[in-house]
Parts: sequence; structure tokens; C-alpha cells
Amino acid sequence: MDFSFSSDQQLLKNSARGFLDEHVKPATVRLLWDDPRGESDTLWKEIAQLGWLGLSLPEAHGGSGLGMVETALLLEEMGRAAYPGPYWPTVLAATAIELAGAEAQKKRWLPAVATGDARATIAFLDTELDWRPEAAQTRAEKTGKGWTLSGRKRFVPWAHVADVLLVPAQTPDGLTLFLVDPRAAGLALEPVPVMDLATRLVDVTLDRAPVAADALLGGPGQAGPLLAALLRRGAVGAAAEMLGAARRCLDMAVGYAKVREQFGQPIGSFQAIRHKCAEMLLEAENSHSAVYYAAWALDAKAEDAELAASVAKAYVGDAARKVCGEAIQVHGGIGFTWEYDLHLYFKRAKALESMYGDGDYHREAILRRVAA
Amino acid sequence: MDLNPTAEDRAFRTEVRRWLETNAATGDVKTLDERKAWHRKLYEAGYVGMLWPKEYGGWGRTPMQQAIVQDEMARLGAPPPINGLGIGFIGPTIIVHGTDWQKQRYLKKMLTAEEIWCQLYSEPNAGSDLASLKTRAEDQGDHFLVNGQKIWTSSGPIADWGILLARTDGKAAKHKGISCVLLHMRQPGVEVRPLRQITGSSLFSEVFMTNARAERRDLIGNLNQGWEIAQTTLGWERGANSLGRVTRYAVAFNQLVRATKELRRGGKPLLEDAAVRARLGKAYAELEVQRYAALRVLSALQNSDSPGAASSITKLSYTEFEKRYFELALEILGPYGQLVSAREEFEDIDTSSGEPGTWATAFLWSRAGTIYSGSSEIQKNIIGERVLGLPKEVRADRLKA
Repeated sequence: MDFSFSSDQQLLKNSARGFLDEHVKPATVRLLWDDPRGESDTLWKEIAQLGWLGLSLPEAHGGSGLGMVETALLLEEMGRAAYPGPYWPTVLAATAIELAGAEAQKKRWLPAVATGDARATIAFLDTELDWRPEAAQTRAEKTGKGWTLSGRKRFVPWAHVADVLLVPAQTPDGLTLFLVDPRAAGLALEPVPVMDLATRLVDVTLDRAPVAADALLGGPGQAGPLLAALLRRGAVGAAAEMLGAARRCLDMAVGYAKVREQFGQPIGSFQAIRHKCAEMLLEAENSHSAVYYAAWALDAKAEDAELAASVAKAYVGDAARKVCGEAIQVHGGIGFTWEYDLHLYFKRAKALESMYGDGDYHREAILRRVAA
Repeated sequence: MDLNPTAEDRAFRTEVRRWLETNAATGDVKTLDERKAWHRKLYEAGYVGMLWPKEYGGWGRTPMQQAIVQDEMARLGAPPPINGLGIGFIGPTIIVHGTDWQKQRYLKKMLTAEEIWCQLYSEPNAGSDLASLKTRAEDQGDHFLVNGQKIWTSSGPIADWGILLARTDGKAAKHKGISCVLLHMRQPGVEVRPLRQITGSSLFSEVFMTNARAERRDLIGNLNQGWEIAQTTLGWERGANSLGRVTRYAVAFNQLVRATKELRRGGKPLLEDAAVRARLGKAYAELEVQRYAALRVLSALQNSDSPGAASSITKLSYTEFEKRYFELALEILGPYGQLVSAREEFEDIDTSSGEPGTWATAFLWSRAGTIYSGSSEIQKNIIGERVLGLPKEVRADRLKA
């Protein structure tokens, strides 16, 4: 039993930290906040070259075959940097293709994702904003040549830059997953004005959007369990990012409390501030335990992997919001300004709290498992 | 990172479970003699003093194996061993700082619970600020004459020996004039008065020392080195209860869920109430995180990264959780939460604080954890100063010194 990172894992974390400190500074994040696309192709190509995009993809398709623990390490660092871009949606969609795709689909998409030539995303939510996969309302109707999709997918991460959308839709056989070209006829994309501009969200309206017969990902009626698994994986990744955002805010708060003086002393010498910082550290450490336990459990296919994913998302969502919010409190007025960087991480944590199943969704999922 | 138990630990767990299923006391383990007998049986099986070196009667096991034993005992609801303070802290202090004579005289009987130990640290006016203690030990050559009062002394009424912090130099700075000495509790100069706790029982006490005698040969370390010894004592039970504690929370959770199936509101079981479900789900998430955190601590101990001040995070985390947890349980149980003797539908639960009882007992006990062994406020000071490196606060006693 060993809860510590291997030296390779530590190396990966350190090199990610080093790269992001240099290439994704707060100033970089702010530039991309103001960018209409919200992400940089150069940065995307650079992280592809670092092997991040293919990290968890199979070696046969251009990846490195590493696990969720390594992915979570990267995501924690990305959260810490408020990294702007479609990294996690793309990797998650690629995982879906790896798990359920036909050989031709894998050949088409996986190497392209690994080399940074394709971006992808999954449209989990419908108009009712219900995270249960079976709640999807978008419908697919069979036509002579394939299918047409009609419905409204809400808050789809980075759909405007994606080369392929994974769209769950109801068919007479049940819930089915389709690969959809976001530039195809019948699709309308509308960016949602959100507070974390480094996590772009897009509403996607499908009005009898035609998709080819071979655009099914997995068999008809078989998308439910796959989507549930992706949602859990997505939740663990989001928890890792929130942990990173919380760590950044904690570091900034502690750093500030050491140098900011009032009443002739650093404010960190006051118990009101020191105790707040201690509570923030407690939440960050517990979040670390939750994230990496859940990530390991997914890799090890542990029997409590599904429970652990929900625990991580529910716990870290609350914890990160608290830590980032308290960091603003420790800073006082400066923490409330646009110029100061805290809000980049505060907003990142809050944005992810509602994604991949919010706290209520995962708390209910936990209770269904343990109180049958 | 690999959180699977090793093959060795899995086999050990099976072995422990079998032993406990065969030997766990089936009759009452209530009187002191019954508890000592059960303790002795556990010791002889190798389940007490597990981290003590073999040369002192211990078993030289790993923190993980120790945690497994406690976990299996929690799963089975087996009565815990006694003399926890002795085996966890006082014995290790003697092993590290004591003389050969002291080791020969005290250690084995401590392990076997032939002699019960208590800790004579806190005083009415020296709680969180322990170093301001006033009990005096006057150097009389071959012995010390002890006068003063101690308080919150667990196991006081049953203790044969105590480890005492007393002032031996009234002129030195407050941390520098304290010595650590072993005190025989069964003597005319020592009077133990049980204190009744909010649970109704009397597990701790006040201790009055009036011209009590502590032998010179029972001085631990050097004269006036007591504060240093008390600060540097490494507990050997660290992480011991980490898994067992969470297992007890989980057992209680299952009992709570059973209760929510029987209690009804608006014509349906409470378990179907959305607000109750959300709160139960949140509590279970926190409970699981306590389990993951426990594994992380055990892993660190295994890799012999001493958690040091970070163990304050663990203590703060589980004691504060425990308060929230039993507050929630009592809110859900409504008026039933007040019961102080069990009924059929709301059976006894394990309070995880050593005292069996009802939900009300567990709820009341949960108030103790954030006070004993360094209150939550003191833990936060330690975390702030020693883990986060925040500046020390300006304190009146430091200004004087």
C-alpha cells in the first residue's frame, strides 16, 4: 500500500508545473480570456508535443497508455494555472472513442488527438440540465442514409473549437451516442457568457442535423453505461483541476498573510487569519486524498471506483469553493479586484463545481450505492 | 501509487479476523478485572504493543498491521484493550528517555495492563497553555515532594502510576523549569476525585497531590528537561485507530440508514426525503474522505516520512468531522436522538470514543475530541506556524520572556 507518487509521476508533475509556470502565466490566461476562441493553437501544439494529449491513449494509437493518476496530476497543475483550453473535454471524448469506437473511428480520431490535430467534446447536458445520461431528450430519427438529430445541448465545453462532438440522443433502441461534425448543416452554436472565460461553454442546437449511418459510437441503445463511466471519469478530472485551483489560492493567501502588515504585524500572525489558512490547508489535503484515491481506483478497477469518483467530485467541489473564497477574504479588497489574479482560480473552481455532475447529483449517487 | 493492500497485509487481516471471531469476548467485558483479562489475551495474541520493539515486550509490527487489528476489532465491535495512554505515549517516552532500571521496572507490566497508567499534565489554570503549570516537585535528594492539582486525568481512578509534569525550578523561564517524573498513584499523598462528564460517566478525574512522594530514580531524563521530553515524545500509536475509527463511523452510518427506513415523514420513510438524502450523501462523502486520508497517513508512516506537525491536520479533520456527523445523526433521528438507553429499534452504537452507548452518547462524546490532546484551536496554531510557516503570534508571555 503506497499513497505516494512514483518518481516518474513526481517528474511528470514537476515538469508540468515548470511548463505551465513559464507558458501559462496569469498574463497568458488573461490574453486568452479576451480572445474570441479562448484558446491558443500554439499552446495546444506544445502540450501535444509534451505528450499530454496522448498521455492516457493507447500506444497503438499514438498515446502513452498512462492512467488516470497521471492524468489527474496534469489536471491538478492545469487547474493551478487556470489553463485555458479544451484539454479535458478532448481527452475525455477520446477516451469514449477508445472505449466504444470501431477500429476506423479510433484510427480517424485518436492519433489526431494525440498529435494536437483534433479537438473533441462530449455534450452531456440537455435542456433539463439533468446529469443522468438517461435523461437526454435530444432525439435521433433514422433516415434513408443515416440519422437526423434534433434537440438542444446545453453548456457543452469548447464545442466552438471542436472537430467532433459526441452527442447522446434517444433512438427507438434507447440512448445512443453519435459523432457529429459541429460544422454540419442543422447545427447552431451559441457561446454562453460565463464568468470563467478559460472554460468556454457553448449551447448547441440541432435541427434535423444529418449524421451518417457510420457515425454511431458503440451500438444503438448502448450509450447509457458508457456515458455514466465517462461522467465519473470527467468528475475525477474536474476534481483534480479544482484541487489545483484551491492549492493556488491557498498558496497566494498564505504568501500574502506573511507579508501584509496591519496593526504593526503580518496579518498571518493573527489567529483569525492563521486559523482560516489552517482550515484551507485541511480542505486541500483532504481533497488531495479524495482526488488521488478516486483516480487510482479508476486505474485499478477497484470495486469502490464508482463511489470514489462521486465522493471526490462532491467533496472537492465544496472544498475548492471554500478555499478559493476564503483566499479572497484573507486578501481583503485587493482580492476583489479584476487586476489581482485570484479570481482566475476562484472562477475556475466554481465553474467546474457544476460540471460532470454537480454536488447534488453525486451525493445522490453516493447514497444510492450505500443506502440501498 | 498503489492502494491495494500487500499480500502480506491481506493474509494478516484474515488471520486477525479468524482470531477475533474465535476469541472475541462473548460475555461481559465491563469490570476492570474482565477488561484486564481481555487485554491480556489480546496482548498474548500479539495485538497490543504492536509497534513496541521486541526487546521491551512488543511485537515489532508495522503501523498498517496495527491499524488492521483495530479495524477488524471495530468491524466486530470487539472491546478495545485498556491502558491506551500508557502503551501509546508513556511507554514510548520511557523507552526513548528512560533509564534501564525504569525500563525493566515498568514496561512489561504496562503492556500487560498489570499496572494502569495515567497522564498528569493539565491543571485547572494550565490547559492549552500547559507550560504555565504550577504543580511543584521539590528536590529532596533521593525523592521529590509533590504538591499541586491536576485535572482531566483519564483513567485516574484506576491508575497505579502516572507520568507527571511538575515545576522543579520556579525561577527559570516557564518552559525551562519543568521536570518529568513517574508518580505512584497509590499513596496517601495522592487523592483522586472522579469528575462526572456530560455523558454522565466518570472516565476522568481531578488529582490532588499533597506532600506526595516521587522517587528520584523515577525522574525521566534530566532535571528541568520535562518540557522538552513532553514535546518530543513520539507516540507509537499514530495511525493505529485511523481505519478502525472510520469503520465505526461506517457501522453507525448503516444503523442510521436503518433508522431512516423506519422513521416516517409525510407518509413515507425518511430515507425517501430529498433533504435527508442530500445530507446523508454529504456525510458519507466526508466519511469516505476520512478513510482515504487514513490510508495516506498509514502510507506515510510505512514510508517512514514522519508526518510531524501534519498529524495536526489529521486530528483536526476527524474530530471536527465527528462533531458534524453526530450532529447530523441527531437531527435526522429527531426526538429519538435523545435516548440515553437503547431500545430495540435504535440499538446501541459504538461511540468511537471508548464508551458504548446510544446516539446521544456518541453525540455528547463528539464534543470531547476537539478539546483533548490539543484543542482544535491549538492544532490550527500548529498547522499555521509549523506547516504553513505563518509568523508566530505576539503573545503576552513571550513579550515578558
